[in-house]
Amino acid sequence: MADVLTLDEPSRHLAPGARLVWRLHWAGACIAAGVVGVMAREVLPEAWRPLLWALPVAALVLGTPVVPEWRWRRWRWEVRASGIDLRRGTLQVRRTLIPMTRVQHVETTRGVLEQSLKLATVQIHTAAGSHTIPLLSADDAAQLRTRIAALARTEAGGG
Amino acid sequence: VGERLHPAAIAVYAVQALREGAFPLITILAVSVFGGGLDERALLRGLAFAAIGALGATVLGALRWASTRYRTDGETIRLRRGWLSVKETDVPLARVQALDVEQGPVQRLFGVRAIHVQTGGGGAGGEIVLGALGAAQVARLRELVASHRPDALSDEREQAPERVLTRRMLLVGALTSGQLGVILPVLAALSQMVDDLVGDPTEGGRSAGRLLPDTVAEWALAGAGLLVAAWLLAALGAIVAFSGFAARRDGDVLRVRRGLVQRREVTLPVARVRAVRVVEGVLRRPLRLATLRVEVVGYAKEAAAAQTLFPLLPRAEVEPFLAALLPELADDPGGLEAPPARARRRYLLAPTAAALVVAALAALALGTPWLLIAGLAGPVHGWLRWRAAGWRLDDGRLAVSSMMLARTTVLAPAANRESHDLAQTALQRRARLADLEVAFGKSTTARIRHLDRDVARGLWLRIT
Repeated sequence: MADVLTLDEPSRHLAPGARLVWRLHWAGACIAAGVVGVMAREVLPEAWRPLLWALPVAALVLGTPVVPEWRWRRWRWEVRASGIDLRRGTLQVRRTLIPMTRVQHVETTRGVLEQSLKLATVQIHTAAGSHTIPLLSADDAAQLRTRIAALARTEAGGG
Repeated sequence: VGERLHPAAIAVYAVQALREGAFPLITILAVSVFGGGLDERALLRGLAFAAIGALGATVLGALRWASTRYRTDGETIRLRRGWLSVKETDVPLARVQALDVEQGPVQRLFGVRAIHVQTGGGGAGGEIVLGALGAAQVARLRELVASHRPDALSDEREQAPERVLTRRMLLVGALTSGQLGVILPVLAALSQMVDDLVGDPTEGGRSAGRLLPDTVAEWALAGAGLLVAAWLLAALGAIVAFSGFAARRDGDVLRVRRGLVQRREVTLPVARVRAVRVVEGVLRRPLRLATLRVEVVGYAKEAAAAQTLFPLLPRAEVEPFLAALLPELADDPGGLEAPPARARRRYLLAPTAAALVVAALAALALGTPWLLIAGLAGPVHGWLRWRAAGWRLDDGRLAVSSMMLARTTVLAPAANRESHDLAQTALQRRARLADLEVAFGKSTTARIRHLDRDVARGLWLRIT
């Protein structure tokens, strides 16, 4: 997307397995929307009712291969000495920089699905809130955590 | 082992226990008094419950007082609480950031003070709270802390610059506080009540329905009365919260005193102040008055009033005020640069569309096309937001103003940020616009929408 956000952009991708997780999430959400829609079909006039299952099915068939792939390609991260650089988003592209000196602590979480695929989600906490890097490979996540901890420690004296 | 608190702590703890148990107690009381109709026996029973409650609370207070000890050796302040399970808290003297003094109604009655021992950890209240100390005990504690951390104490002899909220400003502030937060639940409760009474024509409903106004004029009158009541309530709340408000710079810390019933002195280390917010409420903006708030890292969980640096001052005096008390963050909230002219359309578009949809749905549901006029609120709000948006980055100092209901201007050195974002939607990309967001703390994010792409990028890089 636009050159504003590609300047010296971060280069690391999420784990390739993230696409699978997101595909499952997307498909699950579509099926759930379809079921809810069909159950609540009384709210719409007769002529509009097919939309309630047609839209989720269309989203399922067309979106499942495309959207997670798109999201995955757009998600980039990089840890530099100056800070953590994130760039992500499909409809809205967002570039975030978190200075190392502001990192308070780092958290890694692994759900059941993530554990079975050897993935992990890293959360970076600052005094203003937290930032999430989802679905990294477990090795990357562990490395990232130690790297951030080490950098934050050395920077703490200067900041 | 260690020293007891002043015996007035029994009363302090008893009141605290009563307050914690207040809701169930009042419920029991109300049920017992009104449950079987209001007769003499029920009243007596209620009084008996109240007496038992008060006695129980006093016993609890006495037990808590008897099992609470504090001790200061050369290096730490230690608080030991509890009877069955003992809890000990140690605060190294070198870590004490401040001794905050609090004097609630109970403490004032006995002429004692509550001391909050604050460390760098921040959080609500102090790490150690000593509920009631006599004058001699306070003096000893202060002396001890002074020998380790001289800047943690307020020095009453020194004439540091202090700003006091005048009575006139307190009154103006109270009358213009106009907190929608107070009014909305009242309105919601009323509409629910009306719904219950009108929508359900049972016997009780009909008899109560007669109490309701039935002409438009009466409805308008009732609504106006309610608004006035809510407004007075908000004014009273502001008077109680901000009476005797004074702010003072004292070396590395800011000291803020306030409160009518609960007197409190709060110490804010300047190093922890990340940003200043200049808030101009809807009613105050025409009077060119503003509230100053500070984002203090580590204090984000404390009540909002704890972050008020000064409740009300003329907008023109914001910069001189900050120059005297907080020169590290002083800046002029005026004279900001607006987003480019082509961004105006974007500011108007989204609220207009949203308001039109809502108005159309409401008009359809209620069958009155006149409600469509309410859709005009969208473009008006969008236009006001466009007018309020502005930014400046000068000599490393960032100033960003934006508006939802109140206009808020964030003033802070850019280096104080916790993180910063540059964001662009597909539509903004075509118009070569982008959003910039700079987060300074949990409740302060400077956000400016629809800047020129290159300007936004330049800002983002300069902050990096």
